[in-house]
Amino acid sequence: MSTVNHDSLVLGIDTGGTYTDGVLLAYHARKVLATRKSLTTKRDFAIGIDNVIDGIRIEDPAAISMVSVSTTLATNAIAEGKGKRVALFLIGYDPELIANFKLQARFATPHYFYFAGGHDLYGREKAELDLAGILAQVLKIKDHVDAIAVSSYFSPLNPEHEQRAYTAIARVCDLPVVLGHQLSTRLGSVERATTAALNASLLAVLQDFIIAVRRAMERRGIVAPLMVVRGDGTLMSDEFAARTPVETIHSGPAASAIGGRFLSHLEDALVVDVGGTTTDLALIEGGQVRISAEGASVGGPAGEYKTAVQAANLLSIALGGDSHITLARDGQLAIGPERVLPLAHLAAEHPDVAKRLHALVRRQWSQASPDWLEYWHLLREPPQSFLADASNRQIALIDALRDGPQPVPELLKRLKALHVGQLDAAELHRQEIIGKAGLTPTDLMHVQGSHAPWDVESAGLALEVFSHHVPAPGGGRGSDPGAVCARVWQRVTEMAAHAIITFLSGKKLDPPGAVDPERDASFAPWFFHHSLYGSHPYLQPEIRLKVPIIGIGAPAGLFLGPVAAALRTDLILPTHHEVANAVGAVAGSVMVSEEVLVYPRLNEIGLEVLGYYVQTGEERAEVDDLAPALARATTLARERALGGALRSGADNPQVVVEQQSDGLDMYRIRARAMGNPRLS
Amino acid sequence: MRPDTQKAYDLICEQIITLALPPGQAINEQQLAQSLGLPLAPVQEALKLLADDHLVRVTPRHGTYVADVNVPDLDQISELRLSLESLAARLAAQRAGPDDLAVLRALREEQLAAHAADADARRLLEIDHKFHQAVASIAGNRYLAQTLDHFFGLSLRLWHLLWAGPKHPDAESLPKAVEKHLDLVDAIERHDPAAAERIMADHVAKFYEDVRAHLSGLA
Repeated sequence: MSTVNHDSLVLGIDTGGTYTDGVLLAYHARKVLATRKSLTTKRDFAIGIDNVIDGIRIEDPAAISMVSVSTTLATNAIAEGKGKRVALFLIGYDPELIANFKLQARFATPHYFYFAGGHDLYGREKAELDLAGILAQVLKIKDHVDAIAVSSYFSPLNPEHEQRAYTAIARVCDLPVVLGHQLSTRLGSVERATTAALNASLLAVLQDFIIAVRRAMERRGIVAPLMVVRGDGTLMSDEFAARTPVETIHSGPAASAIGGRFLSHLEDALVVDVGGTTTDLALIEGGQVRISAEGASVGGPAGEYKTAVQAANLLSIALGGDSHITLARDGQLAIGPERVLPLAHLAAEHPDVAKRLHALVRRQWSQASPDWLEYWHLLREPPQSFLADASNRQIALIDALRDGPQPVPELLKRLKALHVGQLDAAELHRQEIIGKAGLTPTDLMHVQGSHAPWDVESAGLALEVFSHHVPAPGGGRGSDPGAVCARVWQRVTEMAAHAIITFLSGKKLDPPGAVDPERDASFAPWFFHHSLYGSHPYLQPEIRLKVPIIGIGAPAGLFLGPVAAALRTDLILPTHHEVANAVGAVAGSVMVSEEVLVYPRLNEIGLEVLGYYVQTGEERAEVDDLAPALARATTLARERALGGALRSGADNPQVVVEQQSDGLDMYRIRARAMGNPRLS
Repeated sequence: MRPDTQKAYDLICEQIITLALPPGQAINEQQLAQSLGLPLAPVQEALKLLADDHLVRVTPRHGTYVADVNVPDLDQISELRLSLESLAARLAAQRAGPDDLAVLRALREEQLAAHAADADARRLLEIDHKFHQAVASIAGNRYLAQTLDHFFGLSLRLWHLLWAGPKHPDAESLPKAVEKHLDLVDAIERHDPAAAERIMADHVAKFYEDVRAHLSGLA
């Protein structure tokens, strides 16, 4: 312990979709000293963070030398359309092309405007910049949006039009302005526009979040640098994060992968993080998180947004410990995609629910359909602002739930509705005023005794009722609860194995249960099925995972044991794997990456190379020959990355420079400066 | 600047300028942080920056106060602004390029539109403020722009004092300010430094006359 006393203490926090986890770590000894788990409140991520910071056992808060946070805040805000309103100014883009390929849906904002200008592949001005048009539009829209994003055609090669637009816009209004070339040096113009728009929409969201974390730290007497995890698992200072919130997309799963690696000391593995809502997959290769070759994609209300942001290569599926187990009409079991509160948890907090479940078991089976296992409950009193515009149905529903949690059929009866759609509850669910509870894998773990922090008896009663309605394998009504448990785990295994195989192969495969592998004509479902179950009389197909699985999250052991067996590999569950995500939030390196582009300067007709441009984010220099241009670019990239890493809180950062040719006599010099965080 | 310090600075500056925190008011850092929903540390940082801007006064014995508005101070500030803003207008007329003119024209359009739409004083004030900032930045001298920026907060507060006070100033003064701006844009467009300098000098002088009249009316 004496080494721990002299070690630096760091606090890592991960705000996931279901839980917010905190871990106090002795940094150099890699020793977990305390952990804390709290439910995430999606409408305000700060609540979970407050609970974790207030509740975690810390003997001397003043001794903490760094706090680092990974968060699904950005991903969540985008998915639910909760970002701020953004006007996107597109300079030199071809509106017809965008419309023909229906690319406008990817801009992540309905307010986008086209203007003349932009550059070509050699950084030459394509058309004169329509600054008057831009300013007129700014004045028209500035009172209706919260931020402005500007993306100009080929701006990474020549950001002049973005910069001129910025200078002019900043002179006529006070809105924050985001420029595309500052976020990405990739040439894809639509991705750059999307990235700029998303970044602009998240500025205030992340700023508020950082302030909330800082407040909680101050209340607890913690004075330390605050870092935020990027989507590739590296760290940036809160100051950087407030300017580039878009880089936090996917930071949660990336932190899990880093934490899994840190705790297991494995250099190559598949990291599988089983949370309450989702299961996330990421790869560790040679001790590093594998980065996606394409930019991070993130789901928005109207579809998928492709960004130019670097992020871990990962796959997230809607399967977790709190996934809702339901029965489809054809008697098939379905697990997820919806996340609900486990019934064992609800019953532990509301004894009335336990009583109701007792009564339910005694009813005739036809009077106790699985609908009776879905409970709604009041999460909080609705704010006055909500009540002012609430419908009669909504108010009646809230009133009914003030008496305690109610099963859905009971609610329908009380509110004289025929089906759930009539209850007008969508907005109440979305704002987390009312919540849903139901049968989940977590309840099954209670019954089987593998993980049982809440009401075991209620979980058992719920499973019994549910099992009455699950068709027996040979036909006929009703199954043994033990057999139903086995079938749920079997489906969980199939879903996880399916995700792993499609993630690693990049190939499509019908999801489990979608086709009958025996009757379907295609080979793939048959191969998958028999690799798992080996039931063919003559053939034994085998899919073997060549690296071990590192399991992360509380349910990982139970979920992933059969998955590892089915894929013929080992499951590694490092000590403290249930909070590896929070460990990963502090275990990453501080990284700043800078790119400098070198490309030829052509004469008017484009046939003769007159020299080379060396283009950094803001400045462009002209050099006569390629070799000195590349040398200059290398020096510039190195210096800029090093300076950025030091400013961002890296301790003794090391710089790696790589040169890459984009073809067409164009070169990309990338410097990455990385170091451990400097502890205060 | 740390993001929470920036936010604290913006919010407190806004409160001082709009007189929500009136001149001379004692500031309790704890309470202020509480009311803004911010940690204490960035609020203290922001108050230091505001002291640099002369909007807050920190005294060793009596704590932190919102800076007073008094006539001797006013005289000194108006002297400085009068000459610096005139200089800015002259340089802007000499140096304005096409992008700069586009900005001034856009602001002129906005001002005319706001005026035609009978916009409230607050709005006209914001536009006026933007206009002065734009001229300072178009002058193309970083140190000049920074020096002026230092005093914009103080000037804005005076505007609010003028318009929020019990004795309303001459209701004509804003329209006149607008006309002055139109003339000024013309002069800069014509690249006529002498005219630009003179118009700006008149404009700023008139403003301080109004403020003085207002303050003496209060006394």
